Amino acid sequence: MLEIKNLKTQFNTYDGVVEALNGVDLTIEDGEIFGLVGETGCGKSVTCYSVLKLLPKTAEVVDGEIVLNGENITHASESRLREIRGGEIGIIFQDPLSALNPVMTINEQIGEVLTLHQKKEVNALASEKEIPVYKSEKWKASSGVEFMITAFSVFFIGLFTILGQFSLGLPFIALIAAMFLRDQMQKDLPESALDLMVIEALSRVKLPNPRQIAKSYPHELSGGMQQRVMIAMALAGKAKMLIADEPTTALDVTIQAQILQLIKDIQKEEQMSVLLITHDLGVVAETCEKVAVMYKGKIVEESSVDEIFTNPQHDYTKSLLNAIPKGGKERLQVSGIGDHESI
Amino acid sequence: MKQETIIQISALRKHFPVKNLWGTDIALVKALDGVDLSISEGKTFGIVGESGCGKTTLMRTLLRLVEPTSGSVVLSEKLTGGQFSSNNLEELKKNELRKFRRQIGVVFQDPMGALNPRMLIKDIVGEPLAIHGQTENIRDRVIELLNNVGLGNEHLYRYPHEFSGGQRQRIVIARALALDPKILVLDEPTSALDVSVQARILNLLNDLQAKFNLTYIFISHDLSVIEYMCDRLAVMYLGKVVEEADTEALFSNPQHPYTKALLSATPNFDKDRKKIMILGDVPSPIAYLDESKAKLATEMTEQERLEIEAIEGKGIDYIVRSSLNKVLPLTKISANHYARV
Repeated sequence: MLEIKNLKTQFNTYDGVVEALNGVDLTIEDGEIFGLVGETGCGKSVTCYSVLKLLPKTAEVVDGEIVLNGENITHASESRLREIRGGEIGIIFQDPLSALNPVMTINEQIGEVLTLHQKKEVNALASEKEIPVYKSEKWKASSGVEFMITAFSVFFIGLFTILGQFSLGLPFIALIAAMFLRDQMQKDLPESALDLMVIEALSRVKLPNPRQIAKSYPHELSGGMQQRVMIAMALAGKAKMLIADEPTTALDVTIQAQILQLIKDIQKEEQMSVLLITHDLGVVAETCEKVAVMYKGKIVEESSVDEIFTNPQHDYTKSLLNAIPKGGKERLQVSGIGDHESI
Repeated sequence: MKQETIIQISALRKHFPVKNLWGTDIALVKALDGVDLSISEGKTFGIVGESGCGKTTLMRTLLRLVEPTSGSVVLSEKLTGGQFSSNNLEELKKNELRKFRRQIGVVFQDPMGALNPRMLIKDIVGEPLAIHGQTENIRDRVIELLNNVGLGNEHLYRYPHEFSGGQRQRIVIARALALDPKILVLDEPTSALDVSVQARILNLLNDLQAKFNLTYIFISHDLSVIEYMCDRLAVMYLGKVVEEADTEALFSNPQHPYTKALLSATPNFDKDRKKIMILGDVPSPIAYLDESKAKLATEMTEQERLEIEAIEGKGIDYIVRSSLNKVLPLTKISANHYARV
């Protein structure tokens, strides 16, 4: 599915060149869950950003190849990359609240993905059911502008009333009344094809009342629900591969178990490949089939999950496993690893 | 050795009112709803629970940063030193409260958020000393404190951003120890750190406990860390302690269904263990005063129904959150094991 060969990424800083990735080799097969573990600063996230070219301007991929389904995308054009991001590779980030746009409803955000990557399907659904593709609300500006108009009108009405010139405020009262009437008249518009697709995407991730959730803003949802919305969004473009960058770090253990179960279920249903990036070896043991351990921009060990926990080969993996508290009260061994020295 | 109780909490309640537009109470957030705990000296007491279960409110009531609605916190003679007018935390006067707060040091989850980015390390660690008027030899004392946590005098004239996460947490611990506290409250001290750094911090905490005979109140949601650190622990859910026991007893023989599920939810290398999932979202701790709304909490939610459908036939055990929301009395299981069964 995805093949990364000898990938090298560098960051140019004022203090010199930082070699974040130092020759990473990874192969992710069709339909497997692949875990990528390592500590802060070892290059896990840089690997996934390098694949999608989401790197900051100071960074560059200096060497190596990225092959997706047989196509070399190392030097793909920006337009091709746009198709890949979301269309072929979906991505979930660590903190759902900062990944979601706080001033857009869930409906608008998932709708955006669908209009970019699923235009044909949306059009097909619209012609099949004989409903409009988009909700055709007339005479409506974006929600921010609408809010500003209302706020200013209320301000002027108040101002003129205080000044004793109530009649001057009347046009603004009329404006607000007109806006209210417009909303009332357009309240019962039929659902568009896009709305239906959004609702379907939300119900795939087992969210209750998808109609209601589609209308809400991210802050109205709990952390678990936000992460479910993120997964729905990553899947909306019918991506065949999912990159999950620390998807459960911000969540409670019980919610974490639910989200991991959901990722496993969806992976099985859709036969997707999942690249799960995490620092928690327990999460890897629960979900993944294969795992790679990263250290200082290199993969130091790669094997099946059972193998790595029963028979770790590399010293770093061993010390990483030793550092996890395991029931007993004996002192934790910390040799060989420690406060991360700068690369 | 007989364990002496250093803090005795009984029937502690903290209800935050929820007001409507006109200022009448429409609901209560039951952050703490009848907590009974006794914390023994020189031991580590763990508090586990999900976000919103009242762990932090409990910590804040212990320092009397928020006034409890009802209940009492009784301090031992050792903690008060016999110099206060009362042993009851509620009855302490303002200047006594200041003296009492010296006895409890606090370490927060996010070290960068707890350290002032514009202050030098020597000022950060020395600040509690300066505030409490112990200004003699302040520099030597700061160096001694830094040495205790594995830092040295080369770190005195640096700013917090020059340190790694683990070192920052060490600085926070050094500052918490500045006034020779008897109790250290550790609010998720390692959840922002990598496992290797976490291991070092946990080792350091164990060393410090042995050296200064400290009592720890260790708040965490990571059960492997809790199991490693704590002697006794309480599991909290929605402002209540659902189970309290010695660590070994609780891990080997959990009684409450929530504890069982929490233990099995922690990701772990043992693939064959029985898995119990908790379905549904963390419920809101808001209790409506209106009876018709109050009933909703124990009814199964749509989310739970969907998740049961998804999970059925996969051989995974589950419990539903709405079934946990019933109030049960705390019963005694063995000598010092209590649970709401």
